[in-house]
Amino acid sequence: MTAHPHPATGLGRPLLSQDRVAGLTLIAVSAFALWASSDLATGTLRFIGPGLMPKLLATLVGATGIILLVLSFLHPGGAMPRIPLRGPLCVLGGILAFALTVQSVGFAIAAPLLAIIAGLADREMRWLELLGFAAFMTVGCILVFKVGLNLPIPVLIIPGMVQY
Amino acid sequence: MDLMSNLALGFSTAMSFQNLGLAFIGCLVGTLIGILPGVGPIATITMLLPITFGIDPVGALIMLAGIYYGAQYGGSTSAILVNIPGEAGSVVTALDGHAMARKGRAGAALGISAIGSFIAGCIATVVIAALAVPLTDLALRFGPTDYFALMVMGLVFAVVLAHGSVLKAVAMILLGILLSTIGSDLETGQARMTFGSLHLADGIDFAVLAMGIFGFAEVLRNLEGGEQRDVIKGTMGPLLPTWDELRRSIAPILRGTGLGSVLGMLPGNGAVLAPFASYTLEKKLAKRPQDFGKGAIEAVAGPESANNAGAQTSFIPLLTLGIPPNAVMAIMVGAMMIQGIVPGPQVMTESPTLFWGMIASMWIGNLMLLVINLPLVGMWVRLLKVPYRLLFPAILIFSCIGIYSIDNNPMDVVFTGVFAIAGYLLIKMGFEPAPLLLGFVLGHLIEENLRRAMLLSRGDLSTFAENPLSLILLIVSAGLLALSALPALRAKREEVFVED
Repeated sequence: MTAHPHPATGLGRPLLSQDRVAGLTLIAVSAFALWASSDLATGTLRFIGPGLMPKLLATLVGATGIILLVLSFLHPGGAMPRIPLRGPLCVLGGILAFALTVQSVGFAIAAPLLAIIAGLADREMRWLELLGFAAFMTVGCILVFKVGLNLPIPVLIIPGMVQY
Repeated sequence: MDLMSNLALGFSTAMSFQNLGLAFIGCLVGTLIGILPGVGPIATITMLLPITFGIDPVGALIMLAGIYYGAQYGGSTSAILVNIPGEAGSVVTALDGHAMARKGRAGAALGISAIGSFIAGCIATVVIAALAVPLTDLALRFGPTDYFALMVMGLVFAVVLAHGSVLKAVAMILLGILLSTIGSDLETGQARMTFGSLHLADGIDFAVLAMGIFGFAEVLRNLEGGEQRDVIKGTMGPLLPTWDELRRSIAPILRGTGLGSVLGMLPGNGAVLAPFASYTLEKKLAKRPQDFGKGAIEAVAGPESANNAGAQTSFIPLLTLGIPPNAVMAIMVGAMMIQGIVPGPQVMTESPTLFWGMIASMWIGNLMLLVINLPLVGMWVRLLKVPYRLLFPAILIFSCIGIYSIDNNPMDVVFTGVFAIAGYLLIKMGFEPAPLLLGFVLGHLIEENLRRAMLLSRGDLSTFAENPLSLILLIVSAGLLALSALPALRAKREEVFVED
């Protein structure tokens, strides 16, 4: 599962080694969690409060981040790999479109939206094929999940007209 | 009740017409989804969870177990046919399995993996049945200190077993536990780090987190590659291995089963190590180790059996102790909770039909996979030829339906998307998501038991040292962690994971 950084395809700036970015991210997460849990009572060892675990863990995460950061200066390691934008943006966009429409308009709109927006992530996408496939998947899923399994997922809602 | 009458009860439950049908459908759809490239068992189970909602608890668990085995089997099938392992356990299978497929022996590779998995499944079922009663008795005597120490050991195992940097694995475990503290405090009910969001008050749902950082992040990674799928062309070859191949495979299957059964029981995802350990062992014992990596049948038979045995015995910590040893078992916890069953030592005593029925269905599931999958190989090959640009929208739609249906809440889908991006970035930074998930899974239990232990000992930390069991477990954990930092062992660990 580990991505192997290739120095050649990295961002090209030696300042941004993978471990350095990793360390800084952990420190940022730790600081954020410490801030978010600052309102929680720590309590005592005998009566541990709600805040002890979050604060302790946030501190430890920060500590590993600092160690990673320090080590990244001693051993530069691989560069941070390039992060493409197209794939993540299309997929996230599709997922959000699904989440926004599934309950208000229904699955019959949400599913093709997800398939088409996410489908744009692939450079080899062909419009006709994608549209046809989206329609096929939508009908198939309605038959399986709504008709067959009777899941309470709304299929199509047009206020005052259709409610299925 | 002794072992035989327990198993008899189990089989009479699992053999009912309805439950046999559910096991069959579970195995079939589990394989169907699990075979999709880059879709591992966790994503498969999450996607298919909603189809079990309308069924009674026993039937639902039997179907889920079927889905799980189907997903496992589907993973090895795509590893052999396309060289894209769906999960860590199939990585080893891909080495020689795919090499065999290229030589026109794909049929035999699939056949031996099915036969090996079946034998491993049979033996592992007996192991589970035999160990269930004594381990449950032991678990009932565990106090909070013991539980805490056991889970610490599980997390240390996860660090030792993670690939790459130990420091990064530790960071992921800690981050996982930190994420698990989001939501209402278990004792005071106070909202923790929820930012006033009602949705976060119940905590982060495990399925949402797992689907995001495992399932969707994997889709994002696959999209990058301009992937080259190497589906075998030409002949599959006969599905049955030759007598000579069978003869050579028997010993590796049995050794793999032994290794897998033992490693699978370890907390902290020991099962993931089983195929690697089996591969290394078989290579050491082989008469012609130079054939390994070029399509040696022993290198498919052993690791596949180890994988399957481990997949099955990893139910033991879940069913007896209530501690999920890996992320797949954590999904099972979620599925059981939806059915109103809290996994732990009380399941066996309170609902023996369910407990033994599930164990018997494990064996039935393995038999069904053998019977239904081999004839369907042609269909799986066709499915694998569908291009990824169409597969991934399908994977996304199934996943979104699955996530939405868990709670009928679109916010869950949004969170999954956010976790997907986070998981993708973590992978880019060289972090592995598996330890994070395990930390998250064990987080609640760790905090609960720590607080209980501290309350009982009046805030005295030495309670962990005074209790012999927890002392031993903590010493073992500390020793393992120290060892894994040693340069010599680190090199060895790299070697195990980067075989050839």
